[in-house]
Amino acid sequence: MKSMTSFKQVTALLCLPISFMASSHDMLPAAPQSQAVLFTNATVHTVTNGVLEQSDVLVANGEVIAVGQDLDKQEQVNSNNATGSELTQAAKADYLAELETAHIIDASGKHLYPGLIALDTTMGLVEVEMMRPSNDAYEVGFINPQLEAITAFNPDSEIIPTVRVNGITHAQVVPQGDGLAGQSALVSMDSWTIEDALVESDKQFHLYWPHVRWLSTDEDKRKEQLADLERRIDKVFNAFADGKRYLLAQQAGKVEKIDLRWQALAPLYEGKGQLFIHAQSQQQIEQAIALAKLYNFNIVIVGGYDAWRVASALAEVNAKVIYTQTLALPKRKDEPIDLAFKIPALLKQAQVPFALGFSSDWNSRNLPFAAGQSVAYGLTKDEALQSITLDAAKVLGIDNMGAIAPGYKANIILATGDILDPMQAGIESIYIDGRKIDLNNRHQQLYQKYLKR
Amino acid sequence: MRKHIIKTPIAILSLLCTQAAIANDQLTDNTPRLTALTHASLMLSPGEMIENATLLIENNKIKAIVKDNDIPKNAFVIDLTGHTVYPGFVDPFTDYAIEYEPVIEDKSGPVYEIKRIGGNASNGAIHSEKQWFNYVYPDKKQAKEWIDNGFTSVQSSYLDGIFRGQGVTLSLADKKANDVIYKAATSQFMAFNKGSSIQDYPQSLMGSMALIRQTFADANWYNANKGKASNSNNTVEFNIALERLNDLNKQSFIFDTKNLNNQLRAARLLNEHELNGSLLGNGREYARLSELKNYPFSLVLPLNYPAAPEIIDGDSEREVSLAALRHWERAPSNLSMVANADIPFALTQHGIDSDKFWPRLKLAIKRGLSEQTALAALTTEAAEISGIGNLAGKIKPGYMADLVVTDGNIFADGKIVSIWLQGEEQQLINRDRALLDNLYQLQIADLSLDLKINQTTPLSGTLSSGEQEVTLANLNYQSGRLTFSADLSEAGFEGISRFTIWLDNQGVRGTMLDAHNQALPFGGLKLANEVEDEQTQQPNSIDTLISQQTSPNVAYGLKAQPKLDKVHIKNATIWTSDKAGVLENSDLIIARGQIKEIGKNLRTPSGYSVIDATGKHLTAGIIDEHSHIALNGGTNEGTDAITSEVRIGDIINPDDIAIYRSLAGGVTTAQLLHGSANPIGGQAQVIQLKWGDNAEQMKFADAPASIKFALGENVKQSNWGDDYNRRFPQSRIGVKSLFSEAFNEALAYRKAQEDYKKMRSSERRRTVAPQYNYRLEAIAEVLEQSRTIHIHSYVQSEILMFLRLAEAYNFKVGTFTHILEGYKVADEMAKHGAHASTFSDWWAYKFEVYDAIPQNTCLMHNNGVLTSINSDDYEMQRRLNQEAAKSMMYCGMSAVDAWNMITINPAIQLGIADKVGSLVEDKQADIVLWDSNPLSVYAKVESTWIEGRRYFDREQDKRAQASVATERAALIQKVLLSDDEHKQGETPIDLMEPEWHCDTHYNAWQQTAKGAL
Repeated sequence: MKSMTSFKQVTALLCLPISFMASSHDMLPAAPQSQAVLFTNATVHTVTNGVLEQSDVLVANGEVIAVGQDLDKQEQVNSNNATGSELTQAAKADYLAELETAHIIDASGKHLYPGLIALDTTMGLVEVEMMRPSNDAYEVGFINPQLEAITAFNPDSEIIPTVRVNGITHAQVVPQGDGLAGQSALVSMDSWTIEDALVESDKQFHLYWPHVRWLSTDEDKRKEQLADLERRIDKVFNAFADGKRYLLAQQAGKVEKIDLRWQALAPLYEGKGQLFIHAQSQQQIEQAIALAKLYNFNIVIVGGYDAWRVASALAEVNAKVIYTQTLALPKRKDEPIDLAFKIPALLKQAQVPFALGFSSDWNSRNLPFAAGQSVAYGLTKDEALQSITLDAAKVLGIDNMGAIAPGYKANIILATGDILDPMQAGIESIYIDGRKIDLNNRHQQLYQKYLKR
Repeated sequence: MRKHIIKTPIAILSLLCTQAAIANDQLTDNTPRLTALTHASLMLSPGEMIENATLLIENNKIKAIVKDNDIPKNAFVIDLTGHTVYPGFVDPFTDYAIEYEPVIEDKSGPVYEIKRIGGNASNGAIHSEKQWFNYVYPDKKQAKEWIDNGFTSVQSSYLDGIFRGQGVTLSLADKKANDVIYKAATSQFMAFNKGSSIQDYPQSLMGSMALIRQTFADANWYNANKGKASNSNNTVEFNIALERLNDLNKQSFIFDTKNLNNQLRAARLLNEHELNGSLLGNGREYARLSELKNYPFSLVLPLNYPAAPEIIDGDSEREVSLAALRHWERAPSNLSMVANADIPFALTQHGIDSDKFWPRLKLAIKRGLSEQTALAALTTEAAEISGIGNLAGKIKPGYMADLVVTDGNIFADGKIVSIWLQGEEQQLINRDRALLDNLYQLQIADLSLDLKINQTTPLSGTLSSGEQEVTLANLNYQSGRLTFSADLSEAGFEGISRFTIWLDNQGVRGTMLDAHNQALPFGGLKLANEVEDEQTQQPNSIDTLISQQTSPNVAYGLKAQPKLDKVHIKNATIWTSDKAGVLENSDLIIARGQIKEIGKNLRTPSGYSVIDATGKHLTAGIIDEHSHIALNGGTNEGTDAITSEVRIGDIINPDDIAIYRSLAGGVTTAQLLHGSANPIGGQAQVIQLKWGDNAEQMKFADAPASIKFALGENVKQSNWGDDYNRRFPQSRIGVKSLFSEAFNEALAYRKAQEDYKKMRSSERRRTVAPQYNYRLEAIAEVLEQSRTIHIHSYVQSEILMFLRLAEAYNFKVGTFTHILEGYKVADEMAKHGAHASTFSDWWAYKFEVYDAIPQNTCLMHNNGVLTSINSDDYEMQRRLNQEAAKSMMYCGMSAVDAWNMITINPAIQLGIADKVGSLVEDKQADIVLWDSNPLSVYAKVESTWIEGRRYFDREQDKRAQASVATERAALIQKVLLSDDEHKQGETPIDLMEPEWHCDTHYNAWQQTAKGAL
């Protein structure tokens, strides 16, 4: 009996910090949209169609139905349809029916933005970075294309509500590792379960291009490091060759034993997925392009510090870029002090298709301000917004997110000011798939608690 | 009898053995050794040459200089016609002939205490008791590295640890130790690198500096008080390390550092204690000559020239810094630049392969170093630094007969022919063989033939007359006797003739044996050697420097300090950070480094420039309470739990580009804090970001003393790995008692000092004085409120604990830094009067910040806690304006309150609000001009002034970007165009230091095993 008790006590103690964190908070995920919403008189940042002043947005069944001025006036129905084509009678009837019952939100003097998409995050994989039990972002091994980050995603992470409060409605959950680290997924920032959260998309594989973190000044060590780098790069190329062999055998019906890795990787060769290659320097990016050429892969460069220098090579393989270093120091001592800030504009100038990312878990909430920073250094405000909405969705191969336009998912931010500028942001409410989500979070709760002290 | 019979064979046997091992002629060597080197050019001392003179050597010393070649009859004469004799060279920095292996304790880390043995020092890096003459054992093979270059003596020490012991100066002669030691105890060798010591402390550069300071204090105390021990109840432990450091001001120190910043730090440290000595150089002295010149120390300069940076592709090119390119180009000019600055220096072979020494020195001469200075650096200066100025370095009667004999000017195309070590010659080029280089004309019967020998292996040569030439065969030469055969049938001597010739410096005499074995004697004359005119080369383009020199000498460095601006800024929105709030459409005038006037429609005083700031904003410079930029050698002395003796002010790195980058973000002042690796960390330093100024100039004059304390996960070593679980405290429970203990110790320390002061002087003479303790001194200052605490803290329990502890010890806590749970106990903090400096929105990166909220600032501010925002980060520091704005977003703070969090509030926390932090007339002109509202993410700094000097300007930065690019491109071309000879050199060991953060664990000495620090 006695030993039993003490055993229990020990277990209880051990579990304490973990269960504390795993315990769900009391912010409830919102129910699916049942009633249409009409935002009226807002400044609408459509992304696909510029900024519309004093316009309305009609949202129903989780989608944007219409955008335009005076939507509540019936004669506007057709002209507000973004496709430009005549609506069918049925659609028109639906539209009018929704309008009839819509909950009207007066957004006079306010702004509507599409929900922001945070790329290259470890959202829901990491709770407290330095505590190993709460960190599931990294796996050992060099070739792990079969790993799916989503399997460890915690929809109840305390971090999620603190990030979405800044307008981030979706996040790409990315596995970390060396070499082929596995597959990422796009998640909604408001869900009960992993399956609720998941936004279907093509396969997204992640490859961390080998590099030497700190090249030694010791000549022998340096040689060793470079030789090891060569080996790791060979390993990458060999892996993709092996994957191809497996696919060929599979197509010929000759596979006898399943190889988890190559089985997972197969869609990539068939153009049914994308390879996200994490690379910063010109050399790394050029090597990544060489790999893409070999197998006609669809690639996205993640990091991309030097990507603007190799625009034409990137264009040859239709590569896109997720630039993650906006709020970073120059990587090399002699570079212009503001280079990291300017790179989004340089990418734009070089006509490289890109989105902005902010690689973190909790800190990804600063994504909009990174975009704001790029405005001070050359992007227009519209371009900056596009780089964290529509272009972010495009990078993931998703075509119905990141804009306020008919047919797009109703991921909408209602704010009193410019959401890229913390001085004036003022986000009032956020909708994901037309559902108004709870903006409470751990920080608000503690704030409110201690306001009462 | 029997015994004898048995013993005899053994005795014989042993005698035989001895003889077999060492041949020992039992006779005393009584050779009179008086040698006359005649007809030589004698370089008596730098710049003092006499021609055609005789140098008289008796035994191992110079006896006389005879100008008229009237030499004593009994002298053994060596004719040195055509040769030059220099004083032998001295290398003041070597580890030659020290036969010693340190005993290294087998103990796994962390090591807090070492084995005490033989009265040694308590720190394993202090070996000041060592006197290295005890370990001298001459090594012929090793000596050759110096002798071949003309060195005859060296100063030597075992090079390990911080206090390395007293060096010895010795001759390179191949004699027994007793004969070669010139001066047994010379300088105390020192360094910052703790070397082989297994003790953790000191782990950082500032730790080493603090240890040195404490050791000097200990030594002074020990030697002043050890005599009192017998007279009182007190005792003084025997400590040979301190005993040997007596009379510091009469000793001499030679300080080994590996880079320029450390060289200056060593200079400052020695100077602070009014000590004498020399600094080992690093080849970059040219970059900070005016500072070096301020110190009374001579330099010992190595000839380490860096290899050209490796440039393979765009990537590798981008990794090469302009600083590295510049240094590659300029390094050979270093010596001439040091010489032009009139800083005395000696040369050393240290750090390079000895065969590089002369080519490098000649390159330095090509770059403008005078031969006279070079010679002084090899002789008189070097002898002085090595403590043998009275017996070496000159050719002077009574000095050692240590000489270099050359054929020609040693600094140009001359060759070293022989070296004299203590009156004994070592010929590098056999004098007899040198005769073969002469050209002779043989007179055989009425035939004139020119004889030319080539010193190939085997020998070859020709006899020629006009156009006709005969190749010689069967050449053989030994000791002036040359034999060969030649076919002279063309000249009328049939068959093969055979020659035997005796050569000397005047001519030849010989015999020719013809085909019939008839001997024909002949004579001959020495011809003047042809003058080779290959030396009259065009000046090489490689020696024309294209790189700029700036301060600091890195990209974006300045050509000159910005001038004091006299400027009228018109029609700006002025954020005063003062009672006046925000002033629209107002003017501000800067003069003499101060804010002269603020108002509307001010008149422009004559001679003032005008900036139209319509639509722009003017603010006070941003102040960062918590930063770790611009440091070298570690931000933590994370070894002992208390390290209040270490000083961040010792390790300011004025070369850090972070200074310039942060200026561009409007930051003018930052407090550089020790990290949070221990409960009581080091002393902080407030700096002004005066890019281009030196480390001392950057220090904020009169900023009150401050110190870093820390609480929480870091001090209990939570995230340090499994090896670190022995240091007290390991829990928050333990932290409190560590502080109590430290405070009690400091109080007792102070009381003992005061008690001693109160004694009558007679009593003091008998009583052992309390030992000065830098560690306790700083803590006592905290208790006396003359040193402000900035305490790293997170959770409410530890905040309250420390507040109450401070109250119990009657002092006020200055600023809680980080203080992420300050909002939970804001009321208590306000009541105590403590300030807060926090992050805007950081959380969740470790467990103790899981309750951090971005509304923290508002809750503290609204509860009356003076609150600031800090960066603790290189990147965030340049966007502190945006960090402040986040409080407007997260908890509705007013713009003015938000702005105050990065200007006046941190100024108050640092105790400098009377000078900076707000725009008020007569305050220091630390001003930032912004293109729009400074709290906006879209705002950019246009100009930043500190004390009225514009240290950053956006337009100027654009020009600098272009000029950096141009200069880089030109230097890269130069590297690519250079031949291998100009590319080779030592691989530069750059300091590979990380960006420092509170919790950066860094062992300065492990990371730089190969010695960049």
